[in-house]
Parts: sequence; C-alpha cells; structure tokens
Amino acid sequence: MTCYNRFRVLLAALLLPCAATLAVAGGDGEGAGIVTELQFPTFWVGQDSKAAPIAALIDQFNADNEGSINVVLEPNPDTDGYRTKIQTGMAVGQVPDVFVFAPGPTQFQYYASDLLLDFTDDLAGPWGDTYVAGAVAGATRDGRTKSVPFEIGVVPIWYNTELLERAGVAQFPQTMEEFWDAAEQLKAAGVTPTSQMTGGTNAWTSMLWYSHIATSLGGPEVWERPLTDPLFTEAAEVLLRLYQDGNTTADAVGGDAGVSGGHYMAQDTAVFINGPWYIGRIRRDAPETHAATRLAYAPQVGDHHGFTLGFPLSNLAAANTDNPARRAAVVKFMQWLTAPANVQMITEQAGSMFALKYELGDDLDPLLQEFVRIVGNASFVGTPIFVHYPSEVILEIGQAIGAMVVGGASPADFVQMLIEANE
Amino acid sequence: MGNRSHRGGIILFLTPVAVLYALFFLYPLGYVFTVSLVDWNGVTAMQFVGLKNYLELLQRSVFRLSVRNNLIWALSLGAGQVGLAVLVALILARRPAGWRLLRTIYFLPNVISQVALAMMWLAIYNAEYGILNAALELMGWGAYARNWLGEIDSALPAIILQQLLYIGYFMIIILAATLSISETFYEAAQIDGADVWQQERHITLPIIRPIVITAATLAMAFGLRHFEATFLMTNGGPANSTSVLGIMLYKTVSALNYGRANAVAVTLIVLGTLLIVAVRRLGREDRAAEERQ
Repeated sequence: MTCYNRFRVLLAALLLPCAATLAVAGGDGEGAGIVTELQFPTFWVGQDSKAAPIAALIDQFNADNEGSINVVLEPNPDTDGYRTKIQTGMAVGQVPDVFVFAPGPTQFQYYASDLLLDFTDDLAGPWGDTYVAGAVAGATRDGRTKSVPFEIGVVPIWYNTELLERAGVAQFPQTMEEFWDAAEQLKAAGVTPTSQMTGGTNAWTSMLWYSHIATSLGGPEVWERPLTDPLFTEAAEVLLRLYQDGNTTADAVGGDAGVSGGHYMAQDTAVFINGPWYIGRIRRDAPETHAATRLAYAPQVGDHHGFTLGFPLSNLAAANTDNPARRAAVVKFMQWLTAPANVQMITEQAGSMFALKYELGDDLDPLLQEFVRIVGNASFVGTPIFVHYPSEVILEIGQAIGAMVVGGASPADFVQMLIEANE
Repeated sequence: MGNRSHRGGIILFLTPVAVLYALFFLYPLGYVFTVSLVDWNGVTAMQFVGLKNYLELLQRSVFRLSVRNNLIWALSLGAGQVGLAVLVALILARRPAGWRLLRTIYFLPNVISQVALAMMWLAIYNAEYGILNAALELMGWGAYARNWLGEIDSALPAIILQQLLYIGYFMIIILAATLSISETFYEAAQIDGADVWQQERHITLPIIRPIVITAATLAMAFGLRHFEATFLMTNGGPANSTSVLGIMLYKTVSALNYGRANAVAVTLIVLGTLLIVAVRRLGREDRAAEERQ
C-alpha cells in the first residue's frame, strides 16, 4: 500500500465514525419520524426526595413515547444555583425546553416577555379541571398562564413529641406565652427549643416563623398592610426572642437550611418549620425523629390562631416555540407530570403536595397524614412573606435578623432594613 | 524598508489579539457601563435613568460596607498573603531539609476546589460542632469559643484568615525568582561578613522586588473580585458585615435589577483600576527613588 493510499484509509477510518455520529444525532428536527428531544434541567435529583419518582415518571414517559419524544433530565442538585442559572439564561434569551419555575413576584416578571410557552388555551380545557380551585388563576397574570401549577408548599410547625414529653410539656403550646414556658422547660431538660437560620438565600426557617407570627397578628391579609405598620415590628420582637436566651442553637446566625434541618433531625432542637417535601428526607435520614414528629399551628401571638401557611412552591414552564410538534410534545409531557395518578405516586413516595385534585392511598406516611389533617382543619391558609415581596426584600431578611441578633439593631431597624430593600 | 516590514509584522501579529480584546473585553465593558445607566429587569424594554442607579447605591449602607470590605480584602491579600508568601519563599530558598515536600504542601490548596475548602472551614468554624471551638475548650480557653462566622466582630477576619493561609500560588512565583538569583552574590556577601538577614535584605529582596510587586498587584486584584469563600461561608452576613461587591452584584442580579447590578460592576472595575494603578505607581516611584540614590 502506498503512503497516499494509507492516508486515504486512515482518513476514511477517522471520518466514517464521525459521519455515522452526525447521521444519528443529526436533526433534532421535528419532522416525520424524528424524535423531539426535551431538555429538562431540574433540582429534583440526588438527595431530593422527589428524585426517584420524577426519574421513574420520565423513564415511563420516554418508553411510552419512544420514537417521538425523549425527555432528557439534566441534574442541577443545588436549588439556589439552579434558579440563578435559569434566570441568567433567561436574561440572555436562553430558556430550557422545560424547567421548574419559582412562582414569586420576581420570576413572574418573565410573563411580560415572549420567552415562555403560553398554556392559557391548554389549561382552559379538561386539563385545567384537574387542578384545585384557584391554582390556575394563581399562575395567571394579565390573562395569560405561562407556567403550569405543580407543587404546593404547606409549612406548619413541626415538633418532636418525645423531646417535649421528656421536658414535661404535655401538648404543643397554643399561645406564645405557653410557648415561652415550654421553651424554659425544654432548656432545663437540655434541649434547644427551636431551629433557626439566617443563612441561605432567604433565611427559610426564620422567615417562615416571622410569617407565622405576623399572620397571627394581622390575619390572612396581613401582607396587604405596608411594612411601616407597627405589627411588623411587633412580629420582629417575637422573632428576636426566639434567637435569644438559648431559644435556638449557637450556629443559627449564619446557619443555612442544613444547619436548621440538621439540628432538628439530630434531635438537638424540638421545634422546626418546613414543608411536606422534607418528609422523604427525614424519614430516610432520621427515622426516629420522623416517628416522633407531629405538626401544629403556630402559637397564637395576636388575634388569629389555628391557621397554617401555604403557597405555590414550584410551577413548570417551557421555552416558547413556533414549532407545533415541539409545542405538542411539551404539553404532553406537562400533562403527564401533572396527571393525578402520577402526582399521587410522587406524594406517596416523597411526601410532596400538589395543586391538583387527587386521592391519597390508605398507607400514607403518618407525617403526610398530619399535613392533610392540619390543612383540612385550618381556620384559614395564609401566605408567607416571600409570596408578596420581591427578591430584594427576601434576600435581606437573613441579614436583617443577623443585624437584630448580633448587630444591636432593634426590631424597628429590622423592619426598616426590609423597607429600604423594597425601595 | 526593514523598519517598515518590522512594523507590518507587529501589526499583523497584534491585530487578531486586538480584535479579540475589543470584541470580548472592550465591547462588554462598554455594554456594562451602558446598562448601568438604565432601569432594566432583563425582560421589558430598557429605560434610561442616567446616574440614578449610582446615586441609589451610594445611599445604601450595604454598598458602602461592601466597598470597605473589598478594600480590606485587597489590602489583606496584597500585604498579608504576599508577605507570608515572601517569608516562606525566602525560607524555602535556603533549601532546608524537606523543602521540596513543603513547597508541594504549600501549593496543594491551590489545586483544591474553593468549594471544598469553604466546606472544610465551615466545619472548623461551626459554633456547635466546630474543631476550633473544641480545641479552645480543650486548652481551657472555652471563654473565647464563639460563633466565628455568625458574629459581626469575627466573621470578616475569620474568612480573610482562612484565605491568607493559601499562599502557594504567590510562594511558587517568588520562590522561582529567588532560586534564580546567582549564588555568587551570597558567597561574596558571606565573605564580607553579612549574616542571613543582611543577605536577604540587601540582595534577595531588591532583586525580587519587581516580582513581589507583581504578586501584590495580582493578590489585590484577587481581593477586589473576591466572591466564592464569602458566598459559601456567610453569604455576606451577618447583617451584611462580610458583604463584598461581588455578593452585592450577585444578589442584585438575582432580583433581576440589571441596571443596578451593572452599576455595582462598574464600581468594582473603577475601584480595581484605581487601586492597581496606585500600586504600580508606588512601585515605580520607589524604584526611581532608589535609582537616584
């Protein structure tokens, strides 16, 4: 074989696999016989309690639609990082095919653009009827529904019955005065009363405490009042006390969700706040704490008691497209994920709750049954502060708590910091 | 003719880089400045607001705190980290036993992810289970145990301290410069009766000074653009006491306030340029004064 011939053979050997690869990968076009591929970046992976059921549903969907639609799950385990990535991408017009949309005042600004697929007409039909009342309206702005309601959050008070019993507290306190008494008993028994945190992007646990306290003072419409209302300073005074006198752990200032949840799971603290999505985690990582946990309404501070807080937690959204086949594929996948039987499966496996009408089986996790009970018996379901205020304010809550607890700022200063962030 | 073709060669070789520089640095820089003058959430149309974003920033205490902290970071790394690197490099250049191993050990943190290092320091500083507090308790200094990252007095020094220790990058640069100094200088100095300190002061330090100034300039630039460790360890808290402009920029972008975020970015660029120019000028004047002597 001549040198030239050897070169040609080598070239062919190199190019053939490339050509074959291109032929296989070529065209994600949506013509006849071509698979529509949907990239789905999500944080429902890894340690997340929904990771397994979501992956199973996607596998099933891909199997059912083999040859026409293929959903590819892109793992993004860090929730905050995921949201930043989505926002950054959207700012430059790069929207994932399907993604988890955080339904808050900041993110709803994207409805003003044509970046998101509009589901208004799809949800006007039978698909919309599968949702609980108000869910679709909650995802609608100016008559357009550009994200699909999905997971909802309910965040009552969690308490450890064994730790309370050990401290001689017979039942969860009904009023704040009773709560302070119980806190003293817990401390005397060597138990830190509450988990708190100022870290993370929104000081989650403490922000929810503040929301419960403010709602007890002002009722379900509390967030319609301006932040200058003295009620918000009063709520901050109660929150400050939760940080003082050993009522929380020494690492609460600066601590993130891992610190707050970790202390509760480790039975260092007796009282905690989080949503049903945490059930899967606590059941797996701290089964004893899971077994000892019951839920309660927040202790009464003002005129209101017996309520809980709830909010849309995660919607599903998609990149806008003019391609009918791609649009149909997205809608089909959304309808699959939100099908009552499928969300029932996720609920039963992960503990999450959804904005859809669905039945739950009898062998439900006892803690999830507690969630159902607490919502069913609530005098009303209020909303936390982050539903009503933009990211600037929510990002400042942890800093404002820190200023109050270790910086010598007063509760009035705490509120002032939020007001300034809102300007 | 020769000069002209030489000039043509220079232009030919510099043009691609100049075009890329203009495209990927000057144009984005101009865009950042332009967006800092508008009100924009990244979705709706931009609205020109002049210097409003800058004026609003100046009114915010967190902005003033962030600028102060950025300067502290720049000076701490420029003086502290490079100072430590010089000290270690001078010792290692004397080739004590095991100096090669020590060189590797000092450089090792530079190849480890900042995230992993931040997680390690979080575990060290933790108020409940942290190794630092446990060590203090063990030594009978329990009274000094505290929430290192959760108290205003200690949070910023705690983050800066952990960063100061990672001297490997600058140590390697300075060590290379020190090892390249001819042994004959030191032999002559020894014959003249100079002790080690005098040799370092009158031979090593003057020779490596340009490298040290470059290292200090780089360290200050790293300090000014600092983000990761603070973001991972305190997210700017408590009470914004550890906030830096990078954190502020990140939070402002998260709130979709791109106009204000770009005003923060412009401030960071201006601050960095002023500081670096000042350091370079200081180094030049210092050298000129010495040459005059």
